[in-house]
Amino acid sequence: MKSSEIRRDKKVLTERMTLADILLLAALVTISISGFVFIKEAFPQGTDVRIEVNGKLAYRLPLNTNTTITVKGIIGNTMVEIKNKKVRITESPCLNKICIHTGWIDRGAVVCIPNRVTVFVDRSEGKENKAIDAITG
Amino acid sequence: MIKKLKVQSSKLKILCFIFLLFTVHCSLFTVSACSPQKEKIYRKSKALMDTLITISAVSGSGDKAEKAIDRAFSEIEKLDSLLNFFSDNSELSEINRNAGLKAVAVSPETFEVIEKAIYASGKTSGAFDITIGSVTTLWDFHKRVKPEDKQIKERLPLVNYKNVILNKKSSSVYLKKRGMLIDLGGIAKGYAADKAVEALKREGIKSGLVAVSGEIKAFGLKPDSKPWKIGIRNPRAKNKEDEIMATIEMTGMAISTSGDYERYFIIEGKRYHHILNPKTGYPSDGCRSVSIIAKDGSVTDSFSTGIFVLGAEKGIKLLEEMGIDGIIIGKNGKIHTTPNLREKLEIIRDSQRQKSTD
Amino acid sequence: MQSQDKYRIALFSAYAIAIHSFENLLPTPIPWLRLGIANIITLATLVLYGFRAAMMVTLIRVILSSIFIGTFLGPGFIMSFCGGVSSTVAMGITFSLFPRLFGPVGLSLIGALFHNAAQLFIAYLLFVRQLEAILIVTPLLILLGTITGVVNGFIGNILINNITDKSPQ
Repeated sequence: MKSSEIRRDKKVLTERMTLADILLLAALVTISISGFVFIKEAFPQGTDVRIEVNGKLAYRLPLNTNTTITVKGIIGNTMVEIKNKKVRITESPCLNKICIHTGWIDRGAVVCIPNRVTVFVDRSEGKENKAIDAITG
Repeated sequence: MIKKLKVQSSKLKILCFIFLLFTVHCSLFTVSACSPQKEKIYRKSKALMDTLITISAVSGSGDKAEKAIDRAFSEIEKLDSLLNFFSDNSELSEINRNAGLKAVAVSPETFEVIEKAIYASGKTSGAFDITIGSVTTLWDFHKRVKPEDKQIKERLPLVNYKNVILNKKSSSVYLKKRGMLIDLGGIAKGYAADKAVEALKREGIKSGLVAVSGEIKAFGLKPDSKPWKIGIRNPRAKNKEDEIMATIEMTGMAISTSGDYERYFIIEGKRYHHILNPKTGYPSDGCRSVSIIAKDGSVTDSFSTGIFVLGAEKGIKLLEEMGIDGIIIGKNGKIHTTPNLREKLEIIRDSQRQKSTD
Repeated sequence: MQSQDKYRIALFSAYAIAIHSFENLLPTPIPWLRLGIANIITLATLVLYGFRAAMMVTLIRVILSSIFIGTFLGPGFIMSFCGGVSSTVAMGITFSLFPRLFGPVGLSLIGALFHNAAQLFIAYLLFVRQLEAILIVTPLLILLGTITGVVNGFIGNILINNITDKSPQ
């Protein structure tokens, strides 16, 4: 009675892939692919909101804090709202209101050209600035 | 044989089980040994005092950090309500309304910040002057309003810090001349940074950073045991890459910068910015940017403005006399620093980078 | 334990150690995290000679090769130890509960899944401590684990068939 002989009767199942094998494989592939999608949704690229006035940095704040701030532009005040990891311009002194019509963004930027206000959503600062805790001036 | 096999396999199973337990215990032990109260930086931003304020606190507990940060913010809110130039309900407005009429009794904070401002005025021979308010209101840097020369000349006699009478006993402030206006815009933010740091310390925070716009005060060390690293903005940045001109590591100190790039408009090629010379009523063209490093935010804030007006040569001389560190970018972009600062400062401006690669 | 079993365990452990050491040279997204190609041997041992032999081979493989590579009791050892043990246990349980449900490919997939899960868990507990970082690499690892799992399964299948054919009736 060798152990190899005891197991001999299972030889037959080593011949092919069983239905359960295929189902398991399909399930794993589905899980991993939906995992990729989920990760992309749960951790969006943008993590910082950067507001520039006339090309100059005016505000920088995290995307995950819900706030409303007033940005002083060239011709008046632009209201920027951050909520649920999204940003939009709610009020603007400009005439065409394109910036308001852009609506919520979670990546890229909204621009109000007449008021020279640009709201960016981007990753944390570049290599050189990353180690900096605050900026004076 | 089968029976023997079974016995052995059950023994092996027990062995394996013990091994597994051992592994789990090992990992749990390691985790509990290194994880307790790992210190982190907690950060919160708020728009107050017409600017963005960011407070960071290092703590092992998020709740504790948040509570301390909220305390610091409420301290700043209180100061904002006392010192706001534009709000009719502030103590400052009360002082201004009663100019030439009577002394106004104020809270210790308002008194203290005005006292500190007068001290800075004396040290800078009037180059920093909070009574500039009556002239400042003539200018509007958002709407690009440049006042008539006549208007400025009319108001200049109202600008003199010596006409602010402080009475320590009654904690009161009196402006001698009717129409005088105190504007604390050049010191209130630095003072607020001081008060916010005090509030954090009272709440048991050992390390943190308060940034009231560009007035920054840091204390303690970061979780990686390093001092805080502050970037100084390049006054003539062309793009995002050269936004930072230099960096400095510091702790237990405050830093402030005054620059001609913060609020300005250009008419006929001439730059009109918000730092006015109290002697002339016009924007001072002595420098591009001045950064001051000292213990108190109220000192750095007021002296960065005052030294901006004084200009590079006089400014460096005054700083050396007082034993305060500073970096001045002159009219032509030349960098002047006090001797102490030279080793501490890491300059990363474009011209420097080019030099090192040439 | 019969001498033939001991001989087989020794032989299979030697193969496993060789594969494990080779695998150690391949780069992975998290340091010390391995795909588990040596699972082929564990799989073949499990199907041919049963759970205890497979567990013996796994333990010998993990401990000896870590001594050979020089990572014994280091982070790499903890990772491969937990990965190896959990994947062997998972495959063993599946094989004894549903011997006819899963073929070698399915067993190998289960092994790879538990191998990765255990390693991610240990990596989170010991080294990374950032759930985000772990979650981000998880789908990638499941996919990689699935691919290697299938490949391992097929190679294991061939190996099992060869050995059963050659061994005397």
